[in-house]
Amino acid sequence: MLFSSMFNEVMEGSLVRKPYNKVFNWAEALPKNIILQKQIQAENLFKKIGVTFSVYNNYDVSERLIPFDMFPRILSAAEWSKIKKGIYQRSLAINAFLTDIYNSAEILKAQILPEELIYNNPAYDIRMVGFKVPKNIYSPIIGTDIVRTDQKDFKVLEDNCRTPSGVSYMIENREIMMRMFPELFESLKIETVENYPSYLLDILRSLAPSKCKKDPNIVILTPGPLNSAYYEHSFLADMMGIELVQGTDLFVDSNITYMKTTQGARRVDIIYRRVDDEYLDPLYYRSDSLLGVPGIINSYKTGNVNICSAPGAGIADDKAIYTFMPEIIKFYLAEEPVLKNIKTWRCFNKKELQYVIHNLKDLVVKEVHGSGGYGMLIGSSASKKEILKFKNKIISNPNNFIAQPILKLSTVPIFSKNRLAQRHVDLRPFSLIGHKKFKLVSGALTRVALKKNSLIVNSSQGGGVKDTWVLSE
Amino acid sequence: MLSRTAENLYWTSRYLERADSIARLLEVAYRISLIPNTQEGYNNEWESILATSGIKQDYLTSYKEIKKEKIEFFLLFETDNFSSVKNCIEKSRDNIKMVRTAVTLEVWNAVNTLYYRYQEYVNKKYSSKELPEIIELIKRQVNLIKGTILNTQLLNDGFDFLTLGNYFERADFTARIIDVKYFILLPSSSFVGSQVDNFQWSLMLRSVSSYRAFKWAYGNSEIDYIKIIDFLILNSQCPRSLFFSVEKINHHLTRLKKIYGEKTASLTKINMLYKTLKSSTVTQILDEGLHDFLSKFIKDISSVYQSVEKKYFMTSQ
Repeated sequence: MLFSSMFNEVMEGSLVRKPYNKVFNWAEALPKNIILQKQIQAENLFKKIGVTFSVYNNYDVSERLIPFDMFPRILSAAEWSKIKKGIYQRSLAINAFLTDIYNSAEILKAQILPEELIYNNPAYDIRMVGFKVPKNIYSPIIGTDIVRTDQKDFKVLEDNCRTPSGVSYMIENREIMMRMFPELFESLKIETVENYPSYLLDILRSLAPSKCKKDPNIVILTPGPLNSAYYEHSFLADMMGIELVQGTDLFVDSNITYMKTTQGARRVDIIYRRVDDEYLDPLYYRSDSLLGVPGIINSYKTGNVNICSAPGAGIADDKAIYTFMPEIIKFYLAEEPVLKNIKTWRCFNKKELQYVIHNLKDLVVKEVHGSGGYGMLIGSSASKKEILKFKNKIISNPNNFIAQPILKLSTVPIFSKNRLAQRHVDLRPFSLIGHKKFKLVSGALTRVALKKNSLIVNSSQGGGVKDTWVLSE
Repeated sequence: MLSRTAENLYWTSRYLERADSIARLLEVAYRISLIPNTQEGYNNEWESILATSGIKQDYLTSYKEIKKEKIEFFLLFETDNFSSVKNCIEKSRDNIKMVRTAVTLEVWNAVNTLYYRYQEYVNKKYSSKELPEIIELIKRQVNLIKGTILNTQLLNDGFDFLTLGNYFERADFTARIIDVKYFILLPSSSFVGSQVDNFQWSLMLRSVSSYRAFKWAYGNSEIDYIKIIDFLILNSQCPRSLFFSVEKINHHLTRLKKIYGEKTASLTKINMLYKTLKSSTVTQILDEGLHDFLSKFIKDISSVYQSVEKKYFMTSQ
């Protein structure tokens, strides 16, 4: 695939696009030795702060630094304003949808989407039916993966409603860029991202459970230091000034959740959990799990503690549900979607399945419940044998797959050995929705595929990150 | 403060102190290897190093013979040796990593730097020639971490737990090292005042980094076992003495009582130990039997720790 067919965010023909004017000239003028020196400096800073993620193999857990590229991703104020409008709309719709499907299920009665898509979905938690979630907010923190395919369109690739990660990189990337290139920040008006933790605290505070009468005690629940996003969990706890707890730090007595402290047991009101549903409570989910807090779901259901995001909220980011997001937005908000979806073929539909299996070469096929770039087929770069194998997989269980065209992801340059080189990027803003509140910092995480022509930006598969600037005017 | 946070802080500094102690033991051994004609003392020293760290049996199972380079490797880098410096540094960092939010960025950086600098040696083949620089690295970085804690940490309950880990380890370690060498300290008719005695005693002092300090404390008078026992067990100025560690533990448990407003079993126990030591004399200790005295001390300290664990770390909940 040729780069010329992709949207280049920096260049328009031979002209530099306006948001990138200053930065492009700056990058072009940077001497080679300075680039190298700054790259080493950046790496040392990341190491020093301890920003690492864990990589697993069969034998060991090792710590890696996520590769950081110094060429910033830049969005104009107008571009950002559209993204913000679209994300706000989506997070309202997602929470309305979750409230509905766990209560009266109007959307099914109206036959907007097929019943089996909900009731046969493993992400649908039947035990949540009829439970009133505090303020009807199931998913207060949503990471929306957005791709840009041309000058005017930003499209949503995926909504992440469970425990989206990466927000600490957004903040640390900025810290490091500010330390290394203060001159850029003096000459450009770049919106700050450092208020994210206080926004998050504000949003969580608005979601206190019914039985909490005082200023709520808020904690972050982490699976522990071996989790790949552990750095982020501790970073957020630190910035928010709250405790970072593991399952063993909590216990439930008479439906009240406590944490163990050096001064005895202390009541907990709100848990921002960064563990998956099935590790929340061994009495409810996996009795074989050592993670989790026995009795915490009862504490939740009796209004003694709030768990954010709510158990069962993950169904909203299911890839099959995603395909209905335009209809979902229209149904609950009576509005047209601001941000479009990517054209998606649903394999559970016979006609669409036929199209998919005959056009695998030009499609990306994803498992409905997969994540992180695993278990997918990129038709253009797969061998005949791989395609055949995948075809059989799809035919044997069509419900498990969706297909999308191979996206022409936009490109932004990275500093590579031969100076600037175009690479594909995506964008993940982190939005926050609470009780009558919506917050979105003007910034996001930009993930970049470091390999030439690669479309996979996931850090687990060799992707890197960039600082993302939203210009204030 | 979260119980686990307190526990992680405690073990962060306890493992650091252990890494430091082992480095200091190795320094003595290295020194001996530079002195000619001390074949006997040399072997003794290596054996007592293994005995002090309580790993003689483990070592002999994997290596069969007492050999300088192998012991060095075993103490510095062996993954199977629970208390190797490598494991101590990794465990210290694992603990502090769990409580990143409870220490200053500078303290975290200091621990992290020790880890990364030490990893450079972990990742290459060990050569005995590098022993001095490795020891130097450990000592310097551990001192840096401790200094950073003193200079940057808020003096809250977290600081108390950090400090407690340090002194529980030191009390235990010093008691063990004296115990392993107590036979050197006891008067024996054939050796008293001989060259051998002086040499052994100076090694003993060096292994707890107190040779120079001893000279300052007791001037140039003749070294004798009474003074050494007094110095390492009862002296209130010697930072390696048992009394010093007990006094520190007592101080920090008293602070915790004030912060939390609650009397605890651990404080009662350490108070008793403190008073007993304060009124003890070397003669009394020798009458009781040095070995018995030390065994009891180790048991008492461990009992204080168990009370700390139960009360503050809530491990039984």
